[in-house]
Amino acid sequence: MTQTPDQQSAEGTAAERRPYSVVIVDDHAMFRTGVKAEIGRSVALVGEAADADRAIAVILQSQPDVVLLDVHLPGGGGVEVIRKVHEKSPEQKFLALSVSDAAEDVIGVIRAGARGYVTKSISGSELIDAIRRVAEGDAVFSPRLAGFVLDAFSGSIDLATVDEDLDRLSQREREVLRLIARGYAYKEVAKELFISIKTVETHVSSVLRKLQLSNRHQLTRWATDRRLV
Amino acid sequence: MTATDSSHLEPDMHDSEAVATQHASAVRDGMESPAPTTESAQPTAAVPTAKEAVPDPSPGGPEDKPRATRVAEGAWLGGVCTGLARHLGWPLMVIRIAFVALATFQFIGVIAYGALWLLMPPESTVKAPGLESASRAGFRGQNKPKRRIDWGMLLALVALGVGLLWIMQNTGLGISSQLFWPVAFACAGAALVWRQADSEQQKRWRAEAGGKAWLAPFVARGGWPALVRVIVGLGLVGAAFGIVIAQQGQISHLPEVMAMTMLALAGLAIVLAPWLHRSRSALNQARAEKVRADARADMAAHLHDSVLQTLAMIQRQADDPKAVQKLARRQERELRNWLYGDELHEATLKAALTAAAAEVEDERGVPVELVTVGDCDTSEEIQALVRATREAMVNAAKHSGADKIDGYAEVDEDSIEVFIRDRGQGFDVDAVAEDRMGVKGSIIDRMARHGGTATIRSGPSDGTEVRLEIKR
Repeated sequence: MTQTPDQQSAEGTAAERRPYSVVIVDDHAMFRTGVKAEIGRSVALVGEAADADRAIAVILQSQPDVVLLDVHLPGGGGVEVIRKVHEKSPEQKFLALSVSDAAEDVIGVIRAGARGYVTKSISGSELIDAIRRVAEGDAVFSPRLAGFVLDAFSGSIDLATVDEDLDRLSQREREVLRLIARGYAYKEVAKELFISIKTVETHVSSVLRKLQLSNRHQLTRWATDRRLV
Repeated sequence: MTATDSSHLEPDMHDSEAVATQHASAVRDGMESPAPTTESAQPTAAVPTAKEAVPDPSPGGPEDKPRATRVAEGAWLGGVCTGLARHLGWPLMVIRIAFVALATFQFIGVIAYGALWLLMPPESTVKAPGLESASRAGFRGQNKPKRRIDWGMLLALVALGVGLLWIMQNTGLGISSQLFWPVAFACAGAALVWRQADSEQQKRWRAEAGGKAWLAPFVARGGWPALVRVIVGLGLVGAAFGIVIAQQGQISHLPEVMAMTMLALAGLAIVLAPWLHRSRSALNQARAEKVRADARADMAAHLHDSVLQTLAMIQRQADDPKAVQKLARRQERELRNWLYGDELHEATLKAALTAAAAEVEDERGVPVELVTVGDCDTSEEIQALVRATREAMVNAAKHSGADKIDGYAEVDEDSIEVFIRDRGQGFDVDAVAEDRMGVKGSIIDRMARHGGTATIRSGPSDGTEVRLEIKR
């Protein structure tokens, strides 16, 4: 998800297909304008909103391929938007965007159902690439998110009390996540591990699923404990 | 840093020490005029100072045991047991069973629990200012963990308590039944009402009851369960008096009236005590909050100063994109760390790496994305690891031409691994390792001296990745 290697392929596919439709939800008008200027040519912007209620209405009405969603938002935050929209339209895809690196916020929005997380300092081309991935049903893990997930799933989970399948990462998934945390793009991860990009995407999606479905209590406790250390 | 190490240095080498000593002049050279440089140094220093000025809500160093506070998460009643367990480091169940067992001895457990409930302050959860304000403004939603009660455990505890009580009463060790039922009822009733007055929802209540906290449980919208709890609680207390009065009924009328009055007053005192206490502590809290608010205002002023300074400098150096990016990046890092950052304790690997990455960013103007998993205290070996990491970052920033450096550190049970990666132009490791002392002396040899390893992978088009590993 970082940088050049994937860029050409991203632009190639974007040119061939119809552009993906995107709704931007952020309470800072300046940021919305900036994002529009950066990605407006590569995706179809079908709506924008500055608070949770408006966002829910716009998203349900315009049914975009991807919603760019700020984590902090008036009216209950991005988590609330995802929850309300998913009640009516469970297939809606969200990509979370934030200036906050607070682990509990990031993990929280992913657990609510976002398919990826990137920071607001992301470059335009990286953002377009991330939108494409999310639109195609894959997950977008930034190095930071990968780090949080590794932290959350390492050691601090009490194995005796949880569903093992869901609450553990497989060896391969850990390897993939570690490479992403080291700044590798999906393509580079694939090359490093001698697997296909598709397989990398499968692993990441599976991690996302585990993150969303695994024992709520344990992960929350991880987030809380982290603050106390 | 050892003397031998620096004697290896050649003049154009970029070891961390050399860079550090040249830091001031290097930075100054890179900028157009010295004046803004000194200005820019000011906000950097100002922000951390301001952060220290905030009254720390939890006194005691990081090594201390956590203070005894009532913990809302995982609590069944008031969070007293959970808090005690964390404070003493004992298993939670042991403390719960102890309280239940004590409760059957003349209600000692109940009284102790009530007293601790009053005396232990609720756990304060103060977060970074950005997060706090986002929470206050409803930008983050309520992501409070839902309370999970283990019903099996609860049932077992209740059964244990009732069983013990039964044994006590039947063996005659217990309290006379004349006293027993009234006290039991009164305890249960008072507990229900007190539970209601617990501070978890106080703030919202206070707002709804127009600042009169003591009225809150009756006025505020606590929903049906709250109302039922208060009514049942008061009913139980009333029943206790009723029983006592009924038992005293045979005696002549005067003492009866006296007793009733006394009991009514006592009952009122019992019911009002928590609110009296709360309103006093609310006053204290308000005072503390004022102090905190003042500190925050000071910090906001500092913050504005630093951001304004940076913006002014950006305008003055608008024709130098590199300098502008450097300034913006540093300001962003500072702000982000202040608003959302974890509080880093000085002597940990994570803090040291973060500081090293920030230094490299400032000196070289190349962003460093650092991700860490796990953390540990520093030691001499780990400091060497940090220096080698810094050197690897400096090399990447200087020689690769990449516009970003990725750093990753993972702390395992028995080893620490650090990866520094760039996507710039690589180099031939074998050819360079001999004559470039920066790589050999400051990374490879340094790691070897401290019982670690350094491997460098580089290719002309793939960039460079330095892997450092050290045993803990």
